[in-house]
Amino acid sequence: MKRGLGRLLSAILVFIGGAPAAPAGEEVKIGAIYPLTGAAASTGLELKNAVELAAEMINHGAQGLNLPLAGNAGLPGLKGAKIRLVFGDHQSNPQIGATEAERLITQEKVVALIGCYASNVTATASQVAERYGVPFLNPDSSSATLTQRNFKWFFRTTPHDELFVRNFFVFLKALETKRGIRPKRIALMNENTLWGTETTKLEEKLAKEQGYNIVETVIYPAKSTQLTSEVQRLKASSPDLLMQSSYLGDAILSIKSYQELGFTPQAILANDAGFNDSEFLRTLGKAGNYVLSREVWALDLTSRNPLIKQVNDIYFKRFKTNFNGNSARAFTGLYTLAEAINRAGSTQPEAMRKALTETNIGGDKLIMPWQGIKFDATGQNTLGSGIIVQVQHGKYVTVWPFELASADVIWPMPAWDKR
Amino acid sequence: MSVEIVLQTLLSGLLIGLVYALVAVGLTMIFGVMDIVNFAHGEFLMFGMYASFWLFSLYKLDPLFTLPLTALLLFALGAAVYQTVVRRIIHASMLSQIFTTFGLMILFRGIAQFLWKPDFRSIDNSLVSGAVRLGALQFGLPQIVAGAGAILATALIWWFLDRTRLGVALEATAADREAAQLMGIPVQRMFTIAWGIAAACAGIAGGLLSTFYPVFPEVGANFILIAFVVVALGGFGSVTGAFLAGIIVGLVEVVGGFLIGPQLKLALVLLLYLLVVLLRPQGLLGRA
Amino acid sequence: MSRRVLLSIAVLAAASAAPWVVSNPSRQNFLILAMMTAQLAVAWNILGGYAGQVSFGHAAFYGLGAYTSSVLLIQFGLSPWIGILAGGVLAMLFALLIGWPCFKLKGHYFAIATIAVAEIVQVIFTNWRAVGGAVGLYLPLREEGLKAFVFHASKLPYYYIALGLLVLTLLVSQTIERSFLGHYFRAIKDEPEAARSLGVNLTRYKLVAIAASSFLTAAGGTLYAQKELFIDPGSVMATSLSVKIALASILGGVGSLFGPVIGAGILTGIEEVTRQFFGGSGRGTDLILYGMIILAVAVYYPHGVIGGFKAWSQRRAARARSGSTG
Repeated sequence: MKRGLGRLLSAILVFIGGAPAAPAGEEVKIGAIYPLTGAAASTGLELKNAVELAAEMINHGAQGLNLPLAGNAGLPGLKGAKIRLVFGDHQSNPQIGATEAERLITQEKVVALIGCYASNVTATASQVAERYGVPFLNPDSSSATLTQRNFKWFFRTTPHDELFVRNFFVFLKALETKRGIRPKRIALMNENTLWGTETTKLEEKLAKEQGYNIVETVIYPAKSTQLTSEVQRLKASSPDLLMQSSYLGDAILSIKSYQELGFTPQAILANDAGFNDSEFLRTLGKAGNYVLSREVWALDLTSRNPLIKQVNDIYFKRFKTNFNGNSARAFTGLYTLAEAINRAGSTQPEAMRKALTETNIGGDKLIMPWQGIKFDATGQNTLGSGIIVQVQHGKYVTVWPFELASADVIWPMPAWDKR
Repeated sequence: MSVEIVLQTLLSGLLIGLVYALVAVGLTMIFGVMDIVNFAHGEFLMFGMYASFWLFSLYKLDPLFTLPLTALLLFALGAAVYQTVVRRIIHASMLSQIFTTFGLMILFRGIAQFLWKPDFRSIDNSLVSGAVRLGALQFGLPQIVAGAGAILATALIWWFLDRTRLGVALEATAADREAAQLMGIPVQRMFTIAWGIAAACAGIAGGLLSTFYPVFPEVGANFILIAFVVVALGGFGSVTGAFLAGIIVGLVEVVGGFLIGPQLKLALVLLLYLLVVLLRPQGLLGRA
Repeated sequence: MSRRVLLSIAVLAAASAAPWVVSNPSRQNFLILAMMTAQLAVAWNILGGYAGQVSFGHAAFYGLGAYTSSVLLIQFGLSPWIGILAGGVLAMLFALLIGWPCFKLKGHYFAIATIAVAEIVQVIFTNWRAVGGAVGLYLPLREEGLKAFVFHASKLPYYYIALGLLVLTLLVSQTIERSFLGHYFRAIKDEPEAARSLGVNLTRYKLVAIAASSFLTAAGGTLYAQKELFIDPGSVMATSLSVKIALASILGGVGSLFGPVIGAGILTGIEEVTRQFFGGSGRGTDLILYGMIILAVAVYYPHGVIGGFKAWSQRRAARARSGSTG
């Protein structure tokens, strides 16, 4: 009943003239909403770069690469139409995200949206898209709630936090089986924002299910000037394993604090974000070693799929840095969107939407370590998964799944003064 | 909860409190001398951090040694800001002044992002890095140096205000502008110097912080609220008050955060402020 | 006087007709945002402009309004139209509670106290899982229509509700300005000692001001919640929001009826334009521009736009007078 109502609603919206159906002419305009100023601006720019590169490669054909749409300049299904990106800056503000979505749809007349990284901005921006009946492709927001809204026009390629946290515990289980390592005491530390709080809730739930002992949960406000109270509490609880969710600034600050205050658990298992940012290792150098982190992408996976290194080389040449989980997902997201539009053969909203629901891209055509891209009824890609990487000798190496691993997990990590 | 952890927590609180104190001293001085609350003070801190960072990054000069240069650069910036902008609004209403410094804040953040991009930068491997051990206790060296530096800088300021002719003239201007003018004190110059010193204080604090805190255009936002609270707690215009209040705030934040929960640490500081000013409306050492 | 009434009617008529002329939903949205900001600025002005008690913590009232109506809706199915009143009352009670001790403080101490209170409220809501905590609240959006206070198909209902709320707030503001309350507020602002010596109970009237101001601000919060359908502490309780509405009032001209409206319009306009044309690059040029405009206005038009306009019209009148004899 609800789905039917939703369908009726969308049909009415489209009819009233919300979503434009541009003729399959010269270009296909896609709106990209990212944090280009404000606290998350450095990530936002990375995502912008990645999406721009993807658009360029689609438009020029990406010869010789096993990517979707390769070998054809532009979108062959739309007579070679080129992708044109129009960017919006949401400044990490949900209301601005919604405003930008509205502007891109109604003024810039984009046919689809991609974005927004921060889950609370994706929440409002995708709502706007849903109201207008415009496909919204989300490559990089991990809040599970985003696909629990029964939306028709929302498609997410990245796995979400529930899956990622499950990855943690599958990893721990596998580690126990393989090497007999089992952390008896686990401490959780998260930033007091949407993502951090959700992650901790999931970790608490799954830890309980699987019989792990959580000895301390430290929640700290983002933008803290120092983390000493937090570290002291961690020290006082003597955990074997620390599971942490922090963005870049706090990730750097916390590692430095651990070093300075002498906090050395056996391992730190981080939930991506700050710990995988390009700046993390550049800043911390050796201090960043041995950190384990959930990732979505790693360069050493190229041994399984040479496409990864090939595309990374192009990205590196342009931007002087390797892909990371965020940029790789954004790149993949635009390709997914373009591939669907191409199959639709038009920018008619319903045609694009239908094509998206029928997406089935094989894992070999992706630079992600996923089995592929296929959306379920809630718009979630079910073939994605995370990996676990560890920083060894200043580089991120894949350590799990063991079939994809290029190195063994180093556990426990050596004390700070012994490095 | 062992004795070591308690001691370590206390010392950590003291150390960060000293840095807060240094930031607040500059802010309170401007207020004391000309009744203006500088919303852009956090941006002086930010520029100080960037100065320290670039001197390290480009010329391999350790922040410890470049502190005087950073202080000088920020002094020049503060004085320039006064001469170009603030001078025009000394007689305006409180609201206008707030509005002006707010505009400066946004402008500075925009400039920083334009020049240096929003990426986080950090100084790694400075001379001042790593840990220091005192028996069973362990502390971060950057924090200790920052605390010591803050004490030194604040002491210098205090000495300047109390023992030098220029400093006394500044205090006179703060106490009674018209009388000072009648005594022949060049008030405009006093104001310029006050802004220069205030910016230099924030700059030194920034330089000290840069040894362990990440540098990015919006970093000022993380410190400015605490700075305001410290200034108000100590009493607007009182340098000694700001110093004491800074230490108190640091202790409450770290110790309170440890005991009650880090997610509430800011709330504890703010509650302390409310309690103090409601019982003693002029803050600890402010003019009644 | 009557010229003002005529002008007001003309503006109201234009505002009512505007959405039929401006058919682009994105531009309609801009007008709605401007009106919402204006409504908040006018509400703020009652306390900050008329009574001279500068608050940088109004986001607490806004957030309380948004959260009250949303929680009542999500957990008890209470209509947002009742929720908006409940939110207003709750915010008002809260305002009276904290106003009573805080009004002992003066000037900058008071301003920072307001920031402190609002930040504490934000910390509480960020950690309060039962009302969403840091994750925030999604408002139900399946039901649509006037009863549900949710509109998908068109922006017009939101437009008129925002306009209606703004007009209501202006009426309250004007009524206060013209009544004895207005006199007392002005006295409290300009000559508090004289007022006290004449037997005016300063605290009582400051409380009246904050009660009206907080109620109206909270109503604006409910409107935001029903429009965006997602709230979290960062979006409805942040200090940056408090500063923005104070700024709108200051920009337009504090202590005047329409000043806050004009200021809100300009501020929203500048934000939109700078973000649209300069924001996409990520270089911060929009911030630079925004900052410079604020500086220019603050330095050269300290009494806000209204003040600048008054000065200009006075100069013009003076010139006309001297011109007629020349």
